[in-house]
Formats: sequence, structure tokens, C-alpha cells
Amino acid sequence: MTIAELVNEAALEQVGYSSDQCLKCNVCNTACPVARVTDLYPGPKYAGPQAARFRMGRTQPAQAKGLPRLLSPDVTVDYCSGCGWCTTVCPAGVKVAEMNSQSRARMKAGKRPKLRDWGLGQTDLTGRVGVMFSPLGNWALANRPVRRLMELTVGIHHLAPFPKFSRRTFQSSWKRRHKGNGSTPLPGPDKAVVYFHGCAVNYYEPHVADAAIAILERNGFDVIVPPQVCCGLPLISNGIYGEARQKAHHNLDILAEYARKGYKIVGTSTSCTHTIKAEYREMLDIHDDDATVVANATWDICEFLVDLLDKGKLDTGFGRLDEDLPYHAPCQLRSHGIGLPALDLFALVPGLRAMDMDHDCCGIAGTYGMKKEKYDIGMAVGAPLFARVKASGATEAACDSETCRWQIEKASGVRTRHPVEILLAAYKAGDAERAGATAGSPAPATSN
Amino acid sequence: MPAVDVVVIGAGLSGLTAALAAAESGARVQVLAKGHAGTHWGTGGLDVAAVPEATTPRAGIRKLASMPGHPYAVLGEDVAPALDWLRTVLAARGLAYEGDLDSPLAVVPTSIGGTRPAAILPAAQAAALGPWGSGERLIVCGVAGFKDFWPDQIAASLARPAIWAGRPGPAAVEAVQVELPDLEGRHNLSAVEISNRFDRPAWRRLAIDRIVAALESRALAGGAPGRVALPAVFGLDDHAAVFDELRRRLPLAPFELPLVPPSVPGMRLYRALRAAFVAAGGRIQIGELVDSVERDGRRVTAVATEAASRSHATRTGAVVLATGGIASGGIVGDQSGHLSEVVLDLPVEAPAFADWLAQDEFDPGGHPLEAAGIRTDAELRPTDAAGRPLFDNVRVAGTLLAGQRNLHERCRDGVDLASGWRAARNLTGAAARGPGAPVGAASGGAGSNRS
Repeated sequence: MTIAELVNEAALEQVGYSSDQCLKCNVCNTACPVARVTDLYPGPKYAGPQAARFRMGRTQPAQAKGLPRLLSPDVTVDYCSGCGWCTTVCPAGVKVAEMNSQSRARMKAGKRPKLRDWGLGQTDLTGRVGVMFSPLGNWALANRPVRRLMELTVGIHHLAPFPKFSRRTFQSSWKRRHKGNGSTPLPGPDKAVVYFHGCAVNYYEPHVADAAIAILERNGFDVIVPPQVCCGLPLISNGIYGEARQKAHHNLDILAEYARKGYKIVGTSTSCTHTIKAEYREMLDIHDDDATVVANATWDICEFLVDLLDKGKLDTGFGRLDEDLPYHAPCQLRSHGIGLPALDLFALVPGLRAMDMDHDCCGIAGTYGMKKEKYDIGMAVGAPLFARVKASGATEAACDSETCRWQIEKASGVRTRHPVEILLAAYKAGDAERAGATAGSPAPATSN
Repeated sequence: MPAVDVVVIGAGLSGLTAALAAAESGARVQVLAKGHAGTHWGTGGLDVAAVPEATTPRAGIRKLASMPGHPYAVLGEDVAPALDWLRTVLAARGLAYEGDLDSPLAVVPTSIGGTRPAAILPAAQAAALGPWGSGERLIVCGVAGFKDFWPDQIAASLARPAIWAGRPGPAAVEAVQVELPDLEGRHNLSAVEISNRFDRPAWRRLAIDRIVAALESRALAGGAPGRVALPAVFGLDDHAAVFDELRRRLPLAPFELPLVPPSVPGMRLYRALRAAFVAAGGRIQIGELVDSVERDGRRVTAVATEAASRSHATRTGAVVLATGGIASGGIVGDQSGHLSEVVLDLPVEAPAFADWLAQDEFDPGGHPLEAAGIRTDAELRPTDAAGRPLFDNVRVAGTLLAGQRNLHERCRDGVDLASGWRAARNLTGAAARGPGAPVGAASGGAGSNRS
């Protein structure tokens, strides 16, 4: 009889049980970007599988007597940034990062979350209010005394990178653009995709959505933007699982309907799409059909475009972009397990010299590096990356995840864009080249 | 057209060697590995061969190559060029090695107070290689609060002449312990943490001050020549500068002792190879467990890995299988004695189940299962029992190869290197470049791996 037969198979899939496979080899500790720069965090092994035996005490006699459940033995788990490198490098398949996230949530369960942690989780609320009062909000976020006050009162570091609020949410501009089209029947799933924009695009970076939609449309897809809420990751990262589950169910209800009809769900935020693909099930323990069907239908946009490329269906009419482009692969993208699709796409652009920065983490890890007590840690984690980006002499860089982009841009001073923005520029360059070619002769040199 | 020319499965020494050598010759290469291991658990030294009556690695290779079925029987000639190539690559990344195939096998101390044979070591360990002169002392210097290195115990063990395997050892062995700056009161220090601190120049200076102070009193008191053994914690990314500063400032020649895993010298080796590979345009994804392959007759056409949802297929022109043997999970066994190779379900050559349970758990001949592995032809293509190749575009490298007892023959790194190197040359060399497996010319910029 094998172990799998002795123990319920489903239980073996659970995060906690994966600690049984831990050899205590410490390889996870060698790869932890946070432990590399601070001793406030002892490393993922100590907080994770090493401590797991204390956490799994639900059925111990103490519980039976109604005593409180055993907590994580160490509060340092709050210094885990959630980047996931420990899980990635573990040769034995232990879900170390997931274990740490769950134990943080357990540690915080039943306590009122810090206002700051709760607030950082409320991306929909802060985004909505920020957009509504965007001139005031943007003034405040750029104002040093206000930011100092925010640090003192709320605990968000005064230097933490914050983008500007958009004047209007992406959802509302989309609705305005598509007013009256509501009754036209949807094209089939081979002709249309569902777009999951995420909070960053909705409240701060609508230009990323514009680029993504232009590229999707150019490749023959109609874009469907159903109503949606925050994926829930900021809540998960801050240990607020209950509310994260509500967000998850809200999104799953809407997305499952499309997924069942065969539509692909494409997102521009690698962290949102990873949350939908993996964390609804692994972290939030949502194991219904909706979660599975939606996870299987969800694609990162670059993953989707590379899939088109592999099928010979991608419009490769990219024009010349003669530039060096430092590229940082975000931690969440790595957790997708889909390679580095942005680099595959950049390779199609003539003249574009994309450079893989090959650095573990930029340090922001969602909202981690924004917090007063963690800002310096985040900056130290990303320091070699910022130096490399700066040293490249490039005028812009690329990265798939929003908070990473803000962090790299702020810390290196180099404008950092989503890969789709670069690709759209390359399409436009291609259009211009073709327009020049059809005009019959090379454009005359202007001189006056 | 395949997305890449070569998929290498595994990121230990054999996998990274194959990957880098292939990328350097212009192939588009993707490394997929389920995690870190081989390098991170090793000593950072390069064990090529250490067998009875052979006094150099080259002599050891010759002896092993004469054993039918040993990987060196087909790879023996490749060790020297592969080693030369690797040393050039590593030196360019600040990781110089000393010793070569004709260096005498020395007896060097370990961090538990034992000894082992070695000939080719990273520069930071190399001062251990020279024979001990009469009257020469060894000082074992530990770090207070660091539990992976006990200087008193190490010194007591190394003071026994018998531990030096018949060679002259140091005339005297002493222990000393240093308290490093900012670490007072700490007692859960890890080698990686200390190494990261040494990478910071300001802290490094203060820390070396303390080591110098502790050693100078001893060195002057004794007056005799000597060397000092220290735990392998002297920097990771800036190791060359750290060790250089240490060597210049200490009154005695220092050398690092590799520690229990995770191994800092092994991490340096991994990082140098990875950086060289990425600079050559290669791609590496760790955390990728292969769950299936697609084949077309005797060719593997795609390798699929577990992903966050769905599975992710990488179409490829060829595959290097460098997943390691039983210890690394490349081969798994069940209670009925059946061994299976996890990626392609290749036939595993192994002793009969009845012979698995040795009478003597410390049999000097080693455990019979050590020799289990995949049988290949001279091209490293996996073969069936009759010696016929099972795949045209698959090569097997490293510990997965049958016929080696690398724990006892100490041939692991030599086999890794020679097989990884030959696999790459096989797949990217002009002879192997058939019309079905085009190897891309230099691709359009670092990281542009597909197109």
C-alpha cells in the first residue's frame, strides 16, 4: 500500500500536507530575496514547513478541550513578501510560500486587520474614490508633507511608489465607448475574448488596456469587458482571506459563464491572472467547478499572443524599434509556469534588443514594499535590478506586473511599460513603414 | 518550426553544462528544472575520479574507462576538453579553479573533521591541496553562533594522524572562534546569511578585522608557518573580491571548508553557470515539473510542464535529459522493486530486486543500486536492452547514466561535465544538424529565444 492510498488523495493536494515532503535541505532559504537582505525574516523554511507541525494542531487534545488553536509559532512570517521563490526552487514540491500565506491569514484571523493592511487590500474602494477626486488625490500623493502624514498615521512609506489616478475608470470609458452595442450578439469564442483588466488598469493605467485591446482587435478578436471586481490578491497578501473569497466568488460567477461557452479570459496583470488561475483554489480553497473552468480559461496576454504565434495566427507586422529594452520578469509571472512570453514577442520586433535582467524580485511584491516597515527591505531586494536597469542606459524598460513597473520606474528613473505598450508601438512603426513603402518612394528628406 | 532547438531537463552541473555549451554554439535553449538541488547540495569542487591506486584524476578516468559499462568507457576522452572549457567560463565570472587532471589527488579536510580526496577545487578551497610541511600548523577558525561549523570538534578530529589517510597531516591543529560584527547574541546563523553579509564591503572590512585579530595572536604566539580553515561563507555574488581581501589580510593562507547543504560554493557555481547561460541568450525556468512529452515516432517534439492552470508545452528540436539518478528524483522506485525513469519512461538498468538489500550497510564496494541508470550508446542516445537507440533526438547526461558508482568512484562531476558537453556538441554539431532539427544562427539579441 502506498502513502497516497493510506492518506486521502485530495488531502495530499493540500498545501499543508506538502510539508511532509520537506527534506529540510534549506534550498528555499538560499533563494529567499527577503532573507537575503534582512534578518527580520529568518527564511521561508523556518516560517513554513519547519513550523507547520505546530500549525496543524486542529485535532490535538488541546483543541478537543476547546483551547485556542495553535498559532504559527513566529510572527516573523509577516515579513514574507509572498514572492513565491521558495516554492519555485524547492526540489521536493513543498508549497512553502502558500503555507506561509495561509499561516499569516490564520494568525490574523479573528483580529481586526490594521487599517493600513485593510486599506491596501481595498483596491476597488481606494481606486474609485481616487478617480472620483483624482486632481486632489494626485496632488496629495505627490505632496511630501501629506505623504509624511500618511506614513505617520497609516504606515504607508512616504517614498512608496504610487501612480497617478486616472481621470476616469477604464470600465466607465469602455461603457461610454460601447454604449448601444449591448444588443449585438456576441461573436463566437474563436472571434472574441473576455478581458480581465484588474484594478491597476481600471484606476491608474487605462493606456495599458487601450494597448491590449488594440492588439487583440488587430489580431481579429472582439473584446468583451464584463463587469468585474478586484481579483482579491491584495486582500490575500494582507491576510484578509474572508473578503478575498467574496471577491473571488463575485468574479467566478461572472467569468464562469463565459468560460463554459469556450471564451478565453485574457488579462494584462500577471498577478490578477495568476490569482485566478491558482490562488482561488490553492490559497482560498475554492474547489468548485467554476474555479476550475475559469482557471483553465484564463491567460496572461503575452501567453495568449505567443499561443497565437505558435498557431501561425499572430499578426507579425511589427516595424522597427531600434532600442535596448531591459526586461524584468515579475515573480507572479514565474509562478504561472509559462516561460517568458514577453521575450518571445519582443524577439519578433526588428531592432529591439530585449535584455532579460534575470533578477529574482523587484522588492515591491504587490503592496509589501509600500509599507513603512518594509519599504527599505523592498528597495534592498530590488537594488541590483535597479542598478542594472540604470546601467543599461536604456530610456525605457518593460515588466508585466503593475506594482513592479511602478517600483522599477521610481527606483531606477527609467520609464517602465507593459509589454503590450511596446508591441503596440512596434505595430504602429510597422504601419508607418508600410504607409511609407506604398507612397512609392522613400520619404523625402525635409530641409528648410 | 520548433520554439527552441534544445530543451534541457534539469539544472544541475550536467544540465547547465549541456545548456551553456549548446547556447554558446548558437542554439536556442530552454532549461526546465523542478527545483534547485545538485549544485546546491555539492561541495563546489569538481570530483572527476578518485579510485584506489590511481594517484591523479586522469589515472582514475583510465581505470574507470576500462570497466565495461562505465560512462567513462565512452566519455573518458571528453573530460579534459570539457573541464578546460568550464574553467574558462567560470574564471570569466570570477570563479577560478585550481588543479587539473594531472594534479596529485590530495587529502583535504572536511567541515565535520574528516578528510576526502580532491584534486580540482575552487580557488578559495585550493590552499588545502598542498602537502603539509613538517612543523606546519592548521588553525580551524569558526564563527560564534554558527551551528554548521564546530571548530573545536573539527580540530580535535583532524589532530588524529589516522584521519589523514596515510599522508602527513599538519603538525598541530588548533581551534579558534570569532564573534563577527552585528551578530553578537545570534545563534541561528546560516551560511547564506553570513555570505550575503560578506558581500557588503563595509561589513566585510570589520569582519575581517576581527578574524585577523583572532589569528594574529595565535600566529605570533606559535611562530610556525601554517594555514587556516574557515567555513565556506566568504561572499556569494562578490566572492572573488571577498576572498581576495581575506587572503591579503590574513597572516596565514586561508581556505574554505564546504559545509552541510545548502552549499555556498555550490551556489556560486550555479550562479556563474546560470549567468553565463542567460548572457548567451539561454532561458531557464526553475519550478517546472515535466508532466508529459509529445512524440513523433522516435523524436520528442514537445515537453509539457505543470503550470498554474493547464499544462505548458515547449516545442523543441531535441531534449537533453539531465534529471539525475535515484537521489535526485530522475528515477523513482516502488516497493515491488520496479524502477522507472520519470520523463520518458526509459528502461532502467539496475541490479535485481533481491540484491538491493546489502548485507553490510557500509560495504566498501558501495550499494549495488548506485549503478542503476539509463543505458545509452556512444552518442548518449538512450537504448533498449539490445543496444538499439530508442530516440533520435534525446541525449542522456549526468548521474542518470547507468554504470557509475559516483559515491565511491568520486566521478560525479567529471561524468556530469563530459556527458553534458558531449550531449550539447552532439545536438548542435554540424553532423547532427539534419533538416528536421535546424539550429538557429545567432538569435537577435540576448533573451530572444524564439522566433
